Amino acid sequence: MTGSADAVTRSALQTALAAVDAASYGYGVAGAHLPAAGRAVAERDWADLQGARDALVSMLAARGGAAPAARDAYQLPFPVRSAAAAVSLAGYLQNRLAAAYLGLVALDDPALRAWGARQAQVCAVRATSWLGRALAFPGLSAAETGPARAAGTRSPGTSSPSASR
Amino acid sequence: MRADLGRRSVLAAAGAAVPLLAAGCKGVGGLGALPRPQPDVAVLRGAISTEQLLIARYRSALAADPGLRGPLGPVLGQHLAHLAALRSRLIGPAATPRPRPPSPPPPAAGPAGLAGTLAGLAAAEQAAAGALVSRLAAASPSLAQLLASISASEASHAVLLRMDRGTR
Repeated sequence: MTGSADAVTRSALQTALAAVDAASYGYGVAGAHLPAAGRAVAERDWADLQGARDALVSMLAARGGAAPAARDAYQLPFPVRSAAAAVSLAGYLQNRLAAAYLGLVALDDPALRAWGARQAQVCAVRATSWLGRALAFPGLSAAETGPARAAGTRSPGTSSPSASR
Repeated sequence: MRADLGRRSVLAAAGAAVPLLAAGCKGVGGLGALPRPQPDVAVLRGAISTEQLLIARYRSALAADPGLRGPLGPVLGQHLAHLAALRSRLIGPAATPRPRPPSPPPPAAGPAGLAGTLAGLAAAEQAAAGALVSRLAAASPSLAQLLASISASEASHAVLLRMDRGTR
């Protein structure tokens, strides 16, 4: 593997790690506003995030990369003051994580590609469990789902259509 | 191996367009520049077949019970979006439509049949998600991301369908 390919790999791993750390913070906020049953699910998701963090730190170290430190706080996409907002946040965090894991899927290393894909699947499943709806293209923007030659052009409208329960 | 598959697909599609006669008797080197193969054609065709089979199953379930349009309609819509995104990656001769896969048998009617239908669809979604992940290594980086996203969508459909089973 060339030096620049190593740098690309480390960068993708660090991006995923930053997304995991942001999600961990967000889950802490969400958990504080959830009733007991929801809090238990949030705690399970949070524990899985710590497992993913450990795996990413390992993969980075194996490639000579350093794990950036988690921040004390992260900006949330919207204020969370109710159980409903907490549930929305949990679903939002999982969809954002899926995008970061798809960054690993773009790498040439087949092991990282497969791991990233399985993690993205878990994210989409968790998001749907929280929100009761699914996305057509979890982790991708509208521009990324069109023809390869159209990449870089911005499609009008919002993200991919969602299917609800 | 991936490039070879692509080259064979392009040649098969181009057929008599390849100027063999113009090369005379100079062998392969005399053919001149072959058209650039699409490296992802085989992977795309497999993923397209998977989507077409899922779409056929959803249409069959809806034909048997139009009352399922509420939960199943939007999921079918997402599979149509998957199919469109995959097809948009095929260009030139490789985009020639292939015969559709055979239709699945219609699901059984009645409540037990309904639960079976939803369970069958959830299992089909899960299997499709797994099949897509197994094809990732052979795909280009950009296509791998699309396939992984579609597989994630399908894994989440399985969850949605199992939620529906629980409410019926």
